[in-house]
Amino acid sequence: MKKKVLSMLLAGVMVLSLAACGSTGTEPAAEAETAESEAETAEVTEETTETASEESASGYELALVTDLGTIDDKSFNQGAWEGVTQYAEEAGVTYKYYQPQEATTDSYVETIGLAIEGGAKLVVCPGYLFETPVYIVQEQYPEVTFILLDGEPHNEDYSDYKTASNTMAILFQEDQPGYLAGYAAVKDGMTKLGFMGGMAVPAVVRYGYGFVQGADAAATEMGVNVDIMYHYTGAFAATPEAQAMAASWYQNGTEVIFGCGGAVGNSVMAAAEEAKAKVIGVDVDQSYESDTVITSAMKKLSVSVYDGIKAFYDGSFPGGSTTIFSAENDGIGLPMDTSKFTNFTQADYDAIVAGLVDGSIKINNDVADTTTADLTLSSAKVTFVE
Amino acid sequence: MSVVYFIFQQTMFFMIPLLVVALGGMFSERSGVINIALEGIMTMGAFTGILFLNLTGGNMSGQGQLLIAVIISMITGAVFAMFHAYASINMKADQTISGTALNLFAPAFAIFVARVIQGVQQIQFANTFRIEKVPVLGDIPIIGDLLFKNTYITTYLGFVILAIAALVLYKTKFGLRLRACGEHPQAADAAGINVYRMQYAGVILSGALGGLGGLVFVVPTSTNFNATVSGYGFLALAVLIFGQWKPVKILWASLFFGLMKAIAAAYSGIPFLEGLGIPSYLYKMIPYLATLVVLIFTSRNSQAPKASGIPYDKGAR
Repeated sequence: MKKKVLSMLLAGVMVLSLAACGSTGTEPAAEAETAESEAETAEVTEETTETASEESASGYELALVTDLGTIDDKSFNQGAWEGVTQYAEEAGVTYKYYQPQEATTDSYVETIGLAIEGGAKLVVCPGYLFETPVYIVQEQYPEVTFILLDGEPHNEDYSDYKTASNTMAILFQEDQPGYLAGYAAVKDGMTKLGFMGGMAVPAVVRYGYGFVQGADAAATEMGVNVDIMYHYTGAFAATPEAQAMAASWYQNGTEVIFGCGGAVGNSVMAAAEEAKAKVIGVDVDQSYESDTVITSAMKKLSVSVYDGIKAFYDGSFPGGSTTIFSAENDGIGLPMDTSKFTNFTQADYDAIVAGLVDGSIKINNDVADTTTADLTLSSAKVTFVE
Repeated sequence: MSVVYFIFQQTMFFMIPLLVVALGGMFSERSGVINIALEGIMTMGAFTGILFLNLTGGNMSGQGQLLIAVIISMITGAVFAMFHAYASINMKADQTISGTALNLFAPAFAIFVARVIQGVQQIQFANTFRIEKVPVLGDIPIIGDLLFKNTYITTYLGFVILAIAALVLYKTKFGLRLRACGEHPQAADAAGINVYRMQYAGVILSGALGGLGGLVFVVPTSTNFNATVSGYGFLALAVLIFGQWKPVKILWASLFFGLMKAIAAAYSGIPFLEGLGIPSYLYKMIPYLATLVVLIFTSRNSQAPKASGIPYDKGAR
């Protein structure tokens, strides 16, 4: 009897799960056909929500839809959310964040729709995973404004890139924070550096190229020679391989490794803790993750989001184009407050940032060749590890 | 000389999880149940163990905390493996499919629960377990440098498990019965052995060791757990086959795999190896090439348990 009930239950679950598969399976095919009618219904709901919001005279004007993690992920979501909160508090605008059910384009689009129904006039989408969702919603909701962080809207198969006039795409010039990190490390007295990237995607390569050139520039200034170990692990995961490689570099005298590729950094930190050596973090201030992190090559997410929102309310929204955040608009940098430098001072930092801003420092960020063989270096020697 | 010590210490980080998990797989397969769920079991064991380290991080530290985590990981692995045991022993399901199901389930579960508990899928932990130098033993020349410096208590645990596993398998009544069930369960049954019970024991043991292996794998190599053990469960299966389902051979196989992995990963930091100019791909390939070669030469008289993978049917002739 027990067995029968159990098998019935199991069968029921299986049927349900099959049904679930079926519905998601047919969706993409149906999407194209219903796109037009969907747009119409979207307009209709738009009108109704407008009247609704007029009635209640409230809703949340600023919305943020979270990426994979939550709002306190110490990464993209949190950085963007800080920017939203900062502006909203200053200007007295209502704001709210929405968390998608799952990390799929459908779910993102749905959640963005939810935010708009909730009265959002501007939706912030942090992370490159929103490239396709924003590509869809920028046409669906032409009267709503979108800010896309770290990506440019494109369709599912990358065949069409389009940033509509109600969308602002934000990219970061990764070679600059990389340059700052390499420069600071050498200026701080280190001569044996390492770079361990994840996959050789453009963002990672730009970080690496900047890092090498920054170290080279500082070495030339100081009249020393610098050795740089350089490697892409091929994945964004923490593996014993990455740990062993980092440990072997430290063993061989490398003083600091720039861990540039998600969890790869954690393997580098594990090796550094063992060898009592140093690590440079990436994207966000990673000093909280391990005491070995002396500084981080940062993208200033909150600044870029704040600027984007401000431009929207000031009527100077740079819609339809991609804004690149660099040293010039304070979009990148090192967290000098939490950095553990001994010789590299705030004044040194300000000077080098000024150099990046006025264009006197040129960084080669051409990522066609990823092996650093195309870089002309004067004082640094790169050992590229395959 | 310090390079040799360094390579050896790194080899341990690769080798011990492979050894422990492969021994787990051995118990299961010698009892007649193929366990390709090792990857998933490792993930689950690492997940609960690391979660424990994370939750008690502020209040506990050191070897005591690690040992409790070890026990938690082993229990988790054992419980998780029971699903496999139930499906493949009681329900006579295809063991490959049930194992695959567990492999698919484990990372998803780990991510889901981690998100529910703490919002982020990566579970941070503070590594306070590294032993700089074992007192007294670490001062012995050469051996002290090789085995008793920059190590983890789990390394010794791995060797203890190896010794116990070899003893249990060959010197106890339980081991004999277990092996009999993997070779000819009908005969074992006729001799009065409860085949189902022995197979359950085999799978649960493999779960406990698999769970332990997951924890041992993650602790030295990262500062957080991100719901993956990077395919080491499958690698342990290769070690098991390369080791011909025998404890001592498994030790050599895991040492060989571990050494090759360590060299492939660390050669760039060792001037001597870099000077040889051998591409790292070669080091990475060697363990797998060796497995293929060994399989070619041993497949005709393979030592695989004869009844492994075949659901035991009492009424079969």
